[in-house]
Amino acid sequence: MSGTEEKALVERCRRGEDEAWRELVDRFGQRIYSVAYHFTLKREDAEELAQEIFLKIFENLHRYDGGFPLVAWIVSVSRNLCIDRYRRRKREKSFRFVSDEAVAPMLTARDDPAADALQKERAKLLFSALAEIPEDLAEVLVLRDLDGLAYEEIGRALALPDGTVKSRLFRARAEVTRRIRERHENRAGSGFASLAVVAGAFV
Amino acid sequence: MSCGELERLFLSDAPAGAARAHCEACASCAALAADLERAEALVSRLRLPAASEALLRELRSIPARTVSCEAADGLAAAALDAELSGAERARLDFHRSRCQACAEAAGVLGQLRELAPPAAAPWLAGRLAAGRRRQKARSIWSFLASPKAAIALAYAAAVIVMLSGFNPADLARKAGVGRIEETALASAQVAGRSLADRFGAFEEDAIRRLAVWKGRAAGYGRAAISTAIQLVMRTEPQPPPRRDRSGEDKGLLRTNEIERQMWRA
Repeated sequence: MSGTEEKALVERCRRGEDEAWRELVDRFGQRIYSVAYHFTLKREDAEELAQEIFLKIFENLHRYDGGFPLVAWIVSVSRNLCIDRYRRRKREKSFRFVSDEAVAPMLTARDDPAADALQKERAKLLFSALAEIPEDLAEVLVLRDLDGLAYEEIGRALALPDGTVKSRLFRARAEVTRRIRERHENRAGSGFASLAVVAGAFV
Repeated sequence: MSCGELERLFLSDAPAGAARAHCEACASCAALAADLERAEALVSRLRLPAASEALLRELRSIPARTVSCEAADGLAAAALDAELSGAERARLDFHRSRCQACAEAAGVLGQLRELAPPAAAPWLAGRLAAGRRRQKARSIWSFLASPKAAIALAYAAAVIVMLSGFNPADLARKAGVGRIEETALASAQVAGRSLADRFGAFEEDAIRRLAVWKGRAAGYGRAAISTAIQLVMRTEPQPPPRRDRSGEDKGLLRTNEIERQMWRA
């Protein structure tokens, strides 16, 4: 969808065309829910956050001038809401202990139970490490690697130059992997059992 | 992260071969690159969490639940006359419950009718009426005195003369053009001399009168200033300084006299 088409779609939404709004939700609903889920890791919270984001989008449609991709604008509108939830989650005690249910919606079911278990443990490791790094790094990694936004879209959404986006992404990936490695080393050094699954992340 | 080369290669979108070549020569970057590959592998295997159909239905129904900020402006204006339907009222209220700016704007707008009109001073009506009359009279005279009116009158007179059939060339032919020119020249010279004399006399008179008034004004001004200074500087009369009867300080100056002399110096 080109920039002109996106602007026209928003204009139709502003005029109150239900069909246009339905099209906008169908186009971006799934994507925004993903972003919301990655920041909250809880289905109920993500659904509430997604609704909040779309309410805000609807109420601020007049602010979209078509200057950059619509998805970037939507993410920029929802950014503060996501960061607020992320901080709230960070304040919770169970922040670093990601549950099975939290990662379940992101796993691809396979026929091999061992592979499924490994995948689940890796996802839990990833999100618990992601929770430990600074939020300005974490949000770039979520938007790029988990939600698949382009560098330009992230730059527009976060009001950052492309170079800064790349730099933060690099550092975020490096920080996440370093933390996973350190955790693995600590657990291996302390002699805990059941490391087979954790070690699998680095096989 | 001890080596920045790998980050530089990453930021410049260098080909994978270049990054690999650097990692072969740099142990720390090789370890970092291995970490990054693991992170990518972790992330790439995840799929996007699916939004439920119920959620998407809720999202599609948002226009029925709320209004945009710009639509809220129009509804708020209509709400002052109680023209909103129940659904519109509900959508507006829902929006205001979420949007602090619109709620504040609604509060301010709602106060419009609660404000008491400011009471006018009793003399204001009379002054306004007098001002209107003066304005009306002044406007007629100012128009007549304006350059526009002069030009319009001149054009009107010219048109009337032309329409009445008067031709200045006929008059010149009847009177004799040569005589008219001589007479006109002589008259103009006399008039010019007379005008110059009169103007010179008027100028002399004006300068003399101005000098007299200027002298008077300066005198009055000086008198007023000296009177004001006297009024400001007036103090109670001081008794003469007392001297010791023993005569020991005879010939010496008193303290205030010394200070006065120092101040003068």
